[in-house]
Amino acid sequence: MFRQHVRKNLTAYCHDELAPVEARRIAEHILVCQRCRSEYEAIKLGVALMRELPAAHAPETIWPQLEAALAQQTEQASSDATQATTEQSRPVHIADTQATAHTTRRFALFASWPRVAAVSCAALVVACLVGGWYYLRPDAPSWEVARLAGAPQIGRERIGERGQLAVGEWLETDNNSRAQISVAHIGEVEVEPQTRIRLVETRPTEHRLELARGTMHARIWAPPRLFFVDTPSAVAADLGCAYTLEVDDHGRGLLHVTTGYVALERGARESIVPAGAACATAPGTGPGTPFFEDASDDFLHALAAFDFKQGGDTALKTVLTEARVRDTLTLWHLLPRVDGDERARVYERLAQLSPPPEGVTRDGVLRLDEQMLKQWKDELENRWLPESFPAVRKAWRNLWQ
Amino acid sequence: METVALMSDRQIETDVIAACQRGDREAFRLLFETYKDRVYSIALYFFGGNEAQASDITQQVFLKLFTKIGQFRSEAEFTTWLYRLTTNACVDEQRKVRRLSQLEETFMADEVRVAEAQEAGLARRETAARVKSAVAELKPKLRVAILLKYFEGLSYEEMAAALGCSKGTVASRLNRGHKALARRLQDLRGLLQQGD
Ligand SMILES: [Zn+2]
Repeated sequence: MFRQHVRKNLTAYCHDELAPVEARRIAEHILVCQRCRSEYEAIKLGVALMRELPAAHAPETIWPQLEAALAQQTEQASSDATQATTEQSRPVHIADTQATAHTTRRFALFASWPRVAAVSCAALVVACLVGGWYYLRPDAPSWEVARLAGAPQIGRERIGERGQLAVGEWLETDNNSRAQISVAHIGEVEVEPQTRIRLVETRPTEHRLELARGTMHARIWAPPRLFFVDTPSAVAADLGCAYTLEVDDHGRGLLHVTTGYVALERGARESIVPAGAACATAPGTGPGTPFFEDASDDFLHALAAFDFKQGGDTALKTVLTEARVRDTLTLWHLLPRVDGDERARVYERLAQLSPPPEGVTRDGVLRLDEQMLKQWKDELENRWLPESFPAVRKAWRNLWQ
Repeated sequence: METVALMSDRQIETDVIAACQRGDREAFRLLFETYKDRVYSIALYFFGGNEAQASDITQQVFLKLFTKIGQFRSEAEFTTWLYRLTTNACVDEQRKVRRLSQLEETFMADEVRVAEAQEAGLARRETAARVKSAVAELKPKLRVAILLKYFEGLSYEEMAAALGCSKGTVASRLNRGHKALARRLQDLRGLLQQGD
């Protein structure tokens, strides 16, 4: 996998110019190769920058100048009747326009052009058709959808074995339907029954779905932060992984991660959820604190109360008492979400379960020093990931910034 | 269904070109209206936001297009031909006034940057102004490739035809162009990510 670097093809990858097999090879390679990945990040930035340049509108003055220049040219051509002129055509500047106004008027009829009759009706009809063609031509990008069971619908249409989900369209499944969406060339999403999901955007630097209700399972082999799912109360940003995301009728969400990492975000609030962990999210609150699903029942109930039901001090006390070494995932995330005495207590418990590495001080952590929090997280991370995948863990570590 | 639509599109394009070849004014106007903004945008950003130069180039391109449309063979892709004219016009012009224009471009770009940055709170415009001047500093060959890609949305194959080079060369120029932009505008990374 490391043998063949992919740097030469990275722009083509961003522009969707590669065959799916090649695109997938690149996606997988940049996941594990630091060199190619930083190159990819640079090119992705270049692509994003270029999209910031707005298209410009040609000024109205060009057409009259052009007519004048053409008239001048034809006039010259007819005075030079015996010899064709080979002179380069030069543009006419705005200042010249008035001087050539009389020729403009004459030229307007294109009188000296070969075989010119009056403007034909046929040409006008063509004009309208081409106008329509021009505006319709950029096809709305779409993703392929395969029916897995029942009768999934795109918009109001039932799909057959396969369908296309275009940007802006909703895919809906009823009680008995399931479907699979191919996410550009970077992954797959399986859609469970009773789900409503929309393709928001798909471009080489960002793919985005909106999950309004229901359940989806994603398997993504793209580099981090390329695939996003909007839910009513948070955005799930893929960091290279497999996960399940559920949204209920109240807009509350639950994310389970099977491999890799997912970030659940709203505004500045971010929860990093590694494999084996989950995180809830609710309207009004945004993403809650991530937790491992094998934590004790008391721990989970207390955390839910703390995050979403103003459980306050009592709930926090239970969370701290019940926390195992692995639950430092939860405690580390709690640090910036509490303050004063509460933060100090979270720190003490965290330090008790896994002492901070050298250079990370109590004072630093309590004032939320970014560098120190990150350093401690890097250390704690060893406790969060399954022991059995050291190589995978190393790759994910590289990705997690 | 899609195939049929595409075929008739091509048919229509051929019809318009045929009408131009007969000297039909409306057909000329139609071609001009359809493509003018794209030609103008390429020229504008090629010359670092110099509007007068962009207008000149646009006019030059269409003038050449209309005078030579009689020679256009319908089996060749019209857009390829148009963008070849556009890129040649830009590169030729650049060659003619290289020394002078380089100075001028830098000056212009800076002026635009400052003027646009002064409009308070318009971070997006500031970004665009900085991208604009960074594009203007690229080598002409990289610059023209990037502009063709973003303002025409051409495929690599179409770009290769318009630029008269191989697809591999297109890919490598785009690679280099994007990296150069990223290097120059490294500090905008955070800004762009937040915007999304
Ligand atoms: Zn590599």
